[in-house]
Amino acid sequence: MTIMETRKHGDAADGMVGGRFSRLDGRLKTTGGATYALEQPVKNVVHAVLVQSTIAAGRVVAVDTEAAKAAPGILSIFTPEDDLGLLVASDWHGNRPENEPFRPLPRQISFNGQAITAVVAETLEQATEAAKLVKVSYEEAQPVTSLDDPNAGEGRLVDMLTVGWGDAEAAYAAADVRIEAEYRTPREYHVPIEPHGLTAKWEGEFLTVWEPSQWTHGMARTYAEWFGIPYENVRIVSPFIGGGFGSKAMGYTYGAVAAAAARKLGRPVKLAVTRPQTFTAYGGRAATKQTIRIGATKDGVLQAIVHRGASETSVFADFPEQTGAATPLLYAVPNLSTQHRLVPVNTVTPGALRAPGKNPSAFGIESAIEELAYAVGIDPLELRLRNYADHDYQSGKPWSTRQLREALTVGADVFGWSGRSHEPRSMRDGRQLVGWGIGCGTFPVLKAASEALIRILGDGSVEVVSGAIDMGQGTYTILAQTAAEVLGVPAERVDVKLGDSSLPGATVAGGSMLAGALTGAVHKAATAARDELIGLALNDSNSPFRDTGANTLVISGGRISVPRGEGPSLTLAELMSAIGRDRIETQRNTLPEGANGPEDHKRSWTTMANIQGPTAGDLSMHSWCAHFVEVKVDEDFGTVRVSHVVSAFDCGRIYNPKLAESQWRGGIIMGIGQALLEEGLVDERFGRVINNNMGDYLVPTNADIPHIQVISVGVPDYDASVLGGKGVGEVGIVGVAPAIANAVFHATGKRVRDLPITLEKLI
Amino acid sequence: MRDFSYFRAASTEEASRATLDAGTMLLAGGTTLLDLAKCGVFEPDTLVDITHLAGLGDITVDANGATIGALAKMEEVADHPGVKAAFPAVAQSLSLAASPQLRNMATVGGNLLQRTRCPYFRDPGAFPACNKRNPGSGCSAIGGVTRNHAVLGTSRACIAVNPGDLAVALVAFDAYVEMGRRRVAIEDFYMLPGETPDWETVLKKGEIITGISIPASMAAKNSTYLKVRDRQSYEFAAASAAVGIEFEADGQTVRDIRVALGGVATKPWRARTVEQALVGTVLNVDAVEKASRLSMEDAVSHGGNRYKIELAPRVVARAILTMGGLA
Amino acid sequence: MTRTIHLSLDINASRYELDVETRVTLLDALRENLGLTGTKKGCDQGQCGACTCHVDGKRVLSCLTLAAQVEGKQVITIEGIAAENGDLHPVQAAFIENDAFQCGYCTPGQIMSAVACIREGHAGSEEEIREYMSGNLCRCGAYNSIVAAVREAASAVTTGVAAKDKAEVA
Repeated sequence: MTIMETRKHGDAADGMVGGRFSRLDGRLKTTGGATYALEQPVKNVVHAVLVQSTIAAGRVVAVDTEAAKAAPGILSIFTPEDDLGLLVASDWHGNRPENEPFRPLPRQISFNGQAITAVVAETLEQATEAAKLVKVSYEEAQPVTSLDDPNAGEGRLVDMLTVGWGDAEAAYAAADVRIEAEYRTPREYHVPIEPHGLTAKWEGEFLTVWEPSQWTHGMARTYAEWFGIPYENVRIVSPFIGGGFGSKAMGYTYGAVAAAAARKLGRPVKLAVTRPQTFTAYGGRAATKQTIRIGATKDGVLQAIVHRGASETSVFADFPEQTGAATPLLYAVPNLSTQHRLVPVNTVTPGALRAPGKNPSAFGIESAIEELAYAVGIDPLELRLRNYADHDYQSGKPWSTRQLREALTVGADVFGWSGRSHEPRSMRDGRQLVGWGIGCGTFPVLKAASEALIRILGDGSVEVVSGAIDMGQGTYTILAQTAAEVLGVPAERVDVKLGDSSLPGATVAGGSMLAGALTGAVHKAATAARDELIGLALNDSNSPFRDTGANTLVISGGRISVPRGEGPSLTLAELMSAIGRDRIETQRNTLPEGANGPEDHKRSWTTMANIQGPTAGDLSMHSWCAHFVEVKVDEDFGTVRVSHVVSAFDCGRIYNPKLAESQWRGGIIMGIGQALLEEGLVDERFGRVINNNMGDYLVPTNADIPHIQVISVGVPDYDASVLGGKGVGEVGIVGVAPAIANAVFHATGKRVRDLPITLEKLI
Repeated sequence: MRDFSYFRAASTEEASRATLDAGTMLLAGGTTLLDLAKCGVFEPDTLVDITHLAGLGDITVDANGATIGALAKMEEVADHPGVKAAFPAVAQSLSLAASPQLRNMATVGGNLLQRTRCPYFRDPGAFPACNKRNPGSGCSAIGGVTRNHAVLGTSRACIAVNPGDLAVALVAFDAYVEMGRRRVAIEDFYMLPGETPDWETVLKKGEIITGISIPASMAAKNSTYLKVRDRQSYEFAAASAAVGIEFEADGQTVRDIRVALGGVATKPWRARTVEQALVGTVLNVDAVEKASRLSMEDAVSHGGNRYKIELAPRVVARAILTMGGLA
Repeated sequence: MTRTIHLSLDINASRYELDVETRVTLLDALRENLGLTGTKKGCDQGQCGACTCHVDGKRVLSCLTLAAQVEGKQVITIEGIAAENGDLHPVQAAFIENDAFQCGYCTPGQIMSAVACIREGHAGSEEEIREYMSGNLCRCGAYNSIVAAVREAASAVTTGVAAKDKAEVA
């Protein structure tokens, strides 16, 4: 792999870490050489295809496999009749029920699209066609299909999500200006371009799984527990992941089915989840609703926020999409109350989709805040600045760093916000109405320990090794930069190996925490390697530096020398040769000294139990952003097109601006899809998502996206991470949808409070 | 896909004859056929590849009109200078359809036979009831999610929308579908669902579409295709309109006007009432908007598609006003 | 028995002989039978563009093409566009330089589409590029960079200047 060094002048960031390096894995990805999970060549492999339920509630009475079995090439068919001998695995936090059987193909039906049978055949085509011949008879029950289902009820209050201070109800009642509205978001889906799937292969009691994974160690634990084998016996291999966005962090039932089938058949099994099946093989973002009441003075100074939200979950597991997650953080408000309810419906258990909680929460509060701006007649930018939170009102702690004011003012300046005319419907471009809107976003800094191995090789090149993953965030590249900086070698001399649970431990690539965790571990391991190398250079009897009298050495540009240039200067390869070493290897982790045993490792790499939240210390640590959006609306047709976006971000120090900008834009584009296009359409009669494909569940095309200008206004935050960065990947989507809804209101005078803003809502 | 045999037809006659066998389907661009075979909607026993047949891909445009071979690719027609000059709405309807890759594959003959995008039609595993797929089994769409279903030409048996763009433009300009020994006006080529929604066109077993002919007209030369959808590209129409206008020598009185609608009806829909209201008049905004609403006189909503009744006349009006220099 | 067919395919200027079921798509033949996994399966329904290849010089979707259909035609995949000496195609170089991808899974399809887009003469303006690259969905959201890469590569193809060199000048 080669890094093309193309630093451009004028970047705020400088040095190896902070440089605009192109992706280390760019050549592989542009030549077809990057090999994703289902592309690993595995000999003697057979193909499994899932059959999913077509009812949402009830039970499987019988599965008629006669016709399918008679089809050519069929090796086996697994149905609810088959006990695959599995046990329930731990949840994210490492909690696990004792010896509870796990039936990935259950008889009980809890949602439409639940896996109930798997057909295994010699070829993909044979398995696919035979799966259509499987006939399932059901005993149907009445499903609850959505938050609006009369039988859904108001749900269960989630106590740990109840937040409050002051007396919000009283302050609201007493406020001069009061607004109240309900905001809703539909089911949304990750839609990574690489569909899910895996190849599972057993060698005795050892299982290898090639599966796209945001968390190789966590998934290895899950497979090990399912099959009752030691964690060390499972290897998850995932060098490249074709997009995850939160959907590839966990083992799912189809993985258990494929691995169980492989064990039963004694042959490797490949199971590719079809695109339509991906809509129910794992959960997308839950549908949400939230009511927000804001009380303020006539000058727009906030007095109270009362928030009541709810999200759907499955009938068998809880996943709260926390509608109140951003509500307490964005503004200075003396009285606040938020509550969140969980409403069980017959759906697959929802999951984490880019900025879970924060995203729908920001849609509510950032829409409401602009509703207030119009109610009091104050510019929405001014209103936000007027209510700027100088500390975290929820925890009472000071911010570590919060450049949100700079994001708002710099963003406004670049966007040209001062040219805005406040009245709705007052700006036009020919026939089209023009509207401008703002949306702020936030995402917490989560901290986790990780581990890395550094090898300095005899030829002077360096290897960085970790079980962490790169799904496009740029892990390969920034770890090379980190090691290169510490070890004083050019980045192209660094090779990075990732994506394998047999490699050193790493936390999940989720919660925007991987970069902070891994750069910390690589920095530590590389520093140790450098110290060891310098120690050898000073002390080894064959080292030319031994007699220089220097007490330290410097490494720069791949050469090691005495400070201030007096004395010998060797390439690393020459030094390694001189001291007779073919490698120097250091492995380090960022766990605390007293908690660094094998059990601590397992707990840290394979569960989320040790992850620290944003206020675990004395400070409150978050990433921040402000989006400025222009839309053009053809009022006759109700069509909205985003025509201009400027977004300013405080994500602390940026390790590689080129890659960070790409992630920010990606989040913004997903937010544009969320605002204008994306919605799982549920047929209420059957509880089935009927637009379960990429032609009907619309994500933005190239033609939907204008040039998006992204700006970093962050400063290094060394409380947040070793190298000063805060999370980059998730915050970008937070606040985009309300910015667009606000711009649509400004353009048209119509306030759309339920996403997406499709054309029928505006005509 | 079900297991099938694959042959390449040696001649048009052989291809035509092959269709007499119930299990045989003709394979051209494959963009509909293979898609629906994967969905389990089509289950052919034999595919006869006709893409190698000579002489069916030519595009000729002269003073009398255009003749387009059935195997001409959508992109070739969309990019053809003669088509663009004499039938801009036809070229636009194609370039606004699908994606460049699909347009490089799909043939115009196949395009005329493309099937509905009704999600209930496309998912036989989940929705056994579909009169279009399985006559007499019922319609799963009625009472379901109907945002993209038809408001015109529906029946109690079927409300599936015809998703075509090209056919809408062709209907506006009185094109013919050539089927070897006979030709049929394209408006008559498509059938309303009635009680037999499985029967979509008058194409018979043993027949093959060999081409399309479009008579030249001043209205076709002065035409446009307007397609409205949520996504900017690569999406079927929420509503679309093909409009062409010929003015009298005075440059403002309408001598001939053609209006057809897409995305809202069970077949490509000619809006003659709109044409009749405007022919012989001088266009003005109010009259055009009023006339455009006539296109929805018989429209029926099924809930989620109600917006189309409001949207479609606005699309028609905009297209007419654009061609009249009033937009 | 499933019906099979013997095919002799011309892919990236090499001859491949294979026996496959007649119903095997070009996409699955490439990925499952020939080890040419650079062509990606995103939807298998003609809705995402990840499987874009060139057949007789035109960009098409290999998921909706039978392998049997391309016998006698020239197929080019992502593995076949760099120079024999390993030099990247200008579009590949421009994609790396402009960071026109993140996860990389839609990338081969984007690049095959971009090469064709430029060849077709549809890379004249940013607006035209956006429209003519809209058959390739990118969920990571690299669209701005894809447009920039296509523009850069289009001018490199025209002027013969490699994208990399140009960027260093700029």
